[in-house]
Amino acid sequence: MTQVPPLSAAVPARRRSRRPAIPWLLGFAVVFAGGAIFMAAFGGYVVPFDPTDSAFMPSMPPPALSEVPGLLWSLVTGSQTEPIHWFGTDSSGFDVFSRVLCAPRIDLSIALASNAFALLIGIPFGLIAGSFRNPLTELMMRVSDVLQSFPVFISAMILVALGGQSIINVILALSLLYAPIYVRLTRTEVLTQKSKGMVEASRAIGQSELNIAIKHILPNSMGPALVQSSVTIGFAILLTAGLSFVGAGVRPPTPEWGLMIATGANDIVLGQWWTSVFPGIAISLTVFSFAVIGDALERRYNR
Amino acid sequence: MLTRFLLRRILTSAVQMFALTLAVFFLVRLLPADPVSRLVGMNASPEAYAQAQRSLGLDQPVFTQLLNYLGLGSKSGLLQGDLGVSWLTNTPVVQEIGMSLPITLELLTYSFLVTLIVAVPIGVMSAANPGKLVDKAVFIYGLFGGSQPEFWWGLLFVLIFFSTLGVAPAPLGMIDPLMLPPPRVTGFYTLDALIAGDFAAFADILHHLMLPVLTMVFVLSGPVIKMVRQSMIQAHASDFVLYGTAIGLRRGTLTNYALRAAIAPTLTLVGILYGVMLGGAVLVENVFALGGIGQYAVRSVLAFDYPSIQGIVLVITAISLLIYLALDILYALIDPRVVYS
Repeated sequence: MTQVPPLSAAVPARRRSRRPAIPWLLGFAVVFAGGAIFMAAFGGYVVPFDPTDSAFMPSMPPPALSEVPGLLWSLVTGSQTEPIHWFGTDSSGFDVFSRVLCAPRIDLSIALASNAFALLIGIPFGLIAGSFRNPLTELMMRVSDVLQSFPVFISAMILVALGGQSIINVILALSLLYAPIYVRLTRTEVLTQKSKGMVEASRAIGQSELNIAIKHILPNSMGPALVQSSVTIGFAILLTAGLSFVGAGVRPPTPEWGLMIATGANDIVLGQWWTSVFPGIAISLTVFSFAVIGDALERRYNR
Repeated sequence: MLTRFLLRRILTSAVQMFALTLAVFFLVRLLPADPVSRLVGMNASPEAYAQAQRSLGLDQPVFTQLLNYLGLGSKSGLLQGDLGVSWLTNTPVVQEIGMSLPITLELLTYSFLVTLIVAVPIGVMSAANPGKLVDKAVFIYGLFGGSQPEFWWGLLFVLIFFSTLGVAPAPLGMIDPLMLPPPRVTGFYTLDALIAGDFAAFADILHHLMLPVLTMVFVLSGPVIKMVRQSMIQAHASDFVLYGTAIGLRRGTLTNYALRAAIAPTLTLVGILYGVMLGGAVLVENVFALGGIGQYAVRSVLAFDYPSIQGIVLVITAISLLIYLALDILYALIDPRVVYS
């Protein structure tokens, strides 16, 4: 029989609903996401094959798992001079390994850039909407509401397909769709900051409202939006891949994970699993890593 | 109180729908796409191009096009419940949505039912011992499932259960292509099969829905389990459970009470997810070629089929807004403490 705590010692619900902390998971996530970012920067220089150059050996399976140590050893000793197709080749003869490692250049750049643009649009509008309450800012929030009620995936498809299927258009579409989230997050935070003593003190010493908003409220109100970024980046990767999977995103033969899964989708029924399984594992773990990092940030900064 | 609240909600929803209608209408026309050349081909003669443009009504000023679309012009339009005619197939958009929407609703309804059946016990178990091994595993899964490319998992399940094990049918639609689909009454395949008393077809449809539902449940149960867990822990920490503990109620009884309090936020999340997934099931529908509204959306967007695109966005948003409204009403019925102002 456990002792029932007295009423006065009731633990606040917030503390008791704390999620379990799993340090090794965060470690894995940071390393994996870091690796993905490294690959986005340098992937093109470290892979054994040109990701968009056919090896003239289509649909070659990857080496069996039992052969991998031997192959690695022969690479080390130098008896194997030809590069190896670690993940096999796809139906066009492209090296799957090189393509998987070069894809962060596309996927992560799109995700990071669209998140940055969304922040650049969202935070200033959120600051304005929170600091000044007038019919114009009310209208702004209603517009943001309407934007948010759009079905996300279908809107992204419309924007990219009708705007022209290029990387820059994917970035623009995603930033437009994610900006309202940041407007709302920043506005809510601005409203809480506004009631703080420092704002009243600044007003008392005669600072202008605009000055207060930019110098005092803005730096204190960016937290929630920045914390949300990690999650948004993950979702942007999923959306980018999904768009190319249905043929409404970047065009082949760009090395992009969703596109690789789409080309491999037809082979899977024939049992040629490697063309879509490897890029899928890459997306799965990358987005998971950003989700874990996002969760850790939220735990740390949003109480 | 409630009636006034509802009236206001319906009014704002209507205004929002109207704004959305205008937004979509102008959005598709502002983007630099040329639906005419997509329809007649790049090499069409200028005369053929001009004629196609005339027949699509794209030669008229945008404002006239808008009036026609809304039904304020000479022909019937939105106000008469007419969403126009698809440029690609020449079929009324209402009819095409009528064919594809029930499939998506069917997929989603089964998926959410299974998700709830799976997620609620797991969430309750996880909340019973916060911080323990089960809780940690559930927490990792919650983060993992909620951040996965569902189309890839669908393909993986096809690879495992169809290509390798052979226990699932090929991902080629709602029913075996050699089988006669049940006569159409409601548009919901399983319901129609039951109405027709065709149990062979019913079993085959369920068999075909197996993998798509599994895929959806795999990604949906993550956030739902998280929500159940969190609400359960909050309920366990609340005063009424403390009171129950104090007067010596058994643990099972207390869990039951806590679950009743936790079910409302969970249902809200499920409702919101249902609305989101109406347009978000696109990828799963595509993998399994189910022919739902998401697949219809892909086809229409890639063909620059404006009337279909506008209709799809409108219908999906309208349904989500209706779900939110229904949730608010349901909330008032479940929880008498909710006050509307």
